[in-house]
Amino acid sequence: MRALALLLMTTAPALAEGDLYIYSWGEYTPPDMVAKFEAEFGVKVHIDSYDSMETMIAKLRAGGAGYDIIVPGDATMQVLIAEGMVEKIDVFEMPNFANVDQRWREVYWDPKREYSAPWAWGSTAFAVDTGVVTGDISSLAVLFDPSDAVKGRINMLRDMNDVINMAERYLGIPRCSENPEEMKRVLELLETQKAWVKSYDSETKEILVSGEAVVSMSWNGYAMRARDEKPTIAYVYPKEGYTGWMDNLAVAKGAPNLENARAFINFAMAPENAAMITNYARYSNGIKGAEAFIEPALAAAPEITPPADAPAPEFIPTCSPAATALIDKVWTKLMN
Amino acid sequence: MALFDTRARDIRNLPGFGLTATLAVAFLYAPILFLTLYSFNAGRSISRLDGLSLRWYRAVFANEEIGRAALNSVLLAMIAASLATVMATAAALAMVRIRMRRKAGAYAVLNFPLMVPEIVTAIATLIFFSTVGLGLGFPALVIAHTTFCIPFAYLPIAARLTSMDPGLEAAAADLYARPWTRFRLITLPLLSPGVVSGWLLAFIVSLDDFIISSMLSGPGSTTLPVHIYSMLRLGITPEVNAVSSLMVAASTLVVIASGLIGRRQS
Repeated sequence: MRALALLLMTTAPALAEGDLYIYSWGEYTPPDMVAKFEAEFGVKVHIDSYDSMETMIAKLRAGGAGYDIIVPGDATMQVLIAEGMVEKIDVFEMPNFANVDQRWREVYWDPKREYSAPWAWGSTAFAVDTGVVTGDISSLAVLFDPSDAVKGRINMLRDMNDVINMAERYLGIPRCSENPEEMKRVLELLETQKAWVKSYDSETKEILVSGEAVVSMSWNGYAMRARDEKPTIAYVYPKEGYTGWMDNLAVAKGAPNLENARAFINFAMAPENAAMITNYARYSNGIKGAEAFIEPALAAAPEITPPADAPAPEFIPTCSPAATALIDKVWTKLMN
Repeated sequence: MALFDTRARDIRNLPGFGLTATLAVAFLYAPILFLTLYSFNAGRSISRLDGLSLRWYRAVFANEEIGRAALNSVLLAMIAASLATVMATAAALAMVRIRMRRKAGAYAVLNFPLMVPEIVTAIATLIFFSTVGLGLGFPALVIAHTTFCIPFAYLPIAARLTSMDPGLEAAAADLYARPWTRFRLITLPLLSPGVVSGWLLAFIVSLDDFIISSMLSGPGSTTLPVHIYSMLRLGITPEVNAVSSLMVAASTLVVIASGLIGRRQS
């Protein structure tokens, strides 16, 4: 058995100098960006994909996974830092950090940007078929106090936190509320709305394009794809606010190729390279000056570049156990 | 055998059999048919057909990440199926040909991987491998896949062995053939349909595995099912349909081959 294990070891990838192991979502890392980095630095890049943040964390926790770069979301990033699972690489001192947009420098999950650099960000708000829905669409009232044309043709994301956060904004209740009275009002609002909701489904693009729903909660990327297929679809940044998310580049603790990982992170903060992320994954990056290198249709898309008068996205840390318990309760009651 | 045939005929004569069977088959296969249909979509949608094209298949074959993952999956499945088949053959010989005590217990242990929920195996293996310092990656995947492939390889091999006439081996022994010669010249050739069928089953079970692979894959060893699942994050395009259809086609071919070889048993 031992001999067998040794034999198998030799077939495993060699961690020779000049390698970089990236562990990310599938189809999230632009091939042209990888090719350019490989050519410039003489490093061979290997990409592996995970299916969820939980899988990624489980493997890091098991220790010695051997990955260099990971791409955690904002809330996950906070957990990884708190648990010492990422390397402190002082991103704020890297030469290309000067390109990072001011608003992505002091973020709740990494206040000094000691551990992470922006990769891509997006938002959760809602989309409207303007061919059917007329009038003022700038408020969440479109979803929670719908006109007769909209009743029965609303789709909500099948996502507990996104739905409840949206209801809280409409009612002016803070996120992660631990107050049972406030959460009761959230439940009442959502139960009233349920009568007009056609579906709670996360495949929003298909639902909007097919016309099953004329108003749908949506991620910005899905809304843009829906507009590609049906030009009357508009993504709305509601005046009450909306949720943002950001995926970040970070280095796993004990990364075998720390220097290459640093080089890659600095490389990814150059505008012409960050633009490749947007062109490929079709999400915004956090780098100033990248607009010049983004495909014109994408650069002009309001889903990618929010209009100047849009409110700033709100980033939401993981709620306290008490708040989470209330959120679970509301969602379970709503779904029953 | 005769008894079984009669019962099968009886079931088919029961009222409502045709309707139930049709509904059951439709329920099982209609989603796969739709998945395949939309893999030929000319547009980006997975619910609205904008004409037929092979663009998503071209995209799959041009996609380096998918290519590497597919190569990993096939290599892993070949190694794991081969190791599992060798062990399953040895196990089958012991279980069927040798008189031993506590056979029921041995049988239960052998088929244990079929009973344990996969997620339990996955997490237990993840923790165990990192405790003993093996870490994650291709070696860990080979060991885990071999383990859960053994019962799948074992079943057809044992079935074949049970139906083989022990007289032939006895005759060879009478003619002074040593045990190894006997195995090489008599038992193995007769057993080969079962062995091939077992290998193919093990191969396909390994190729399709997601949960264990997701937990144990390391740098450079992402498998195809893990990669497909991770593609869902950026929204489903018919590219996912195309690569899934290709996997269904590969599985179907292997299972048919396994069935055909298994049928040669008579």
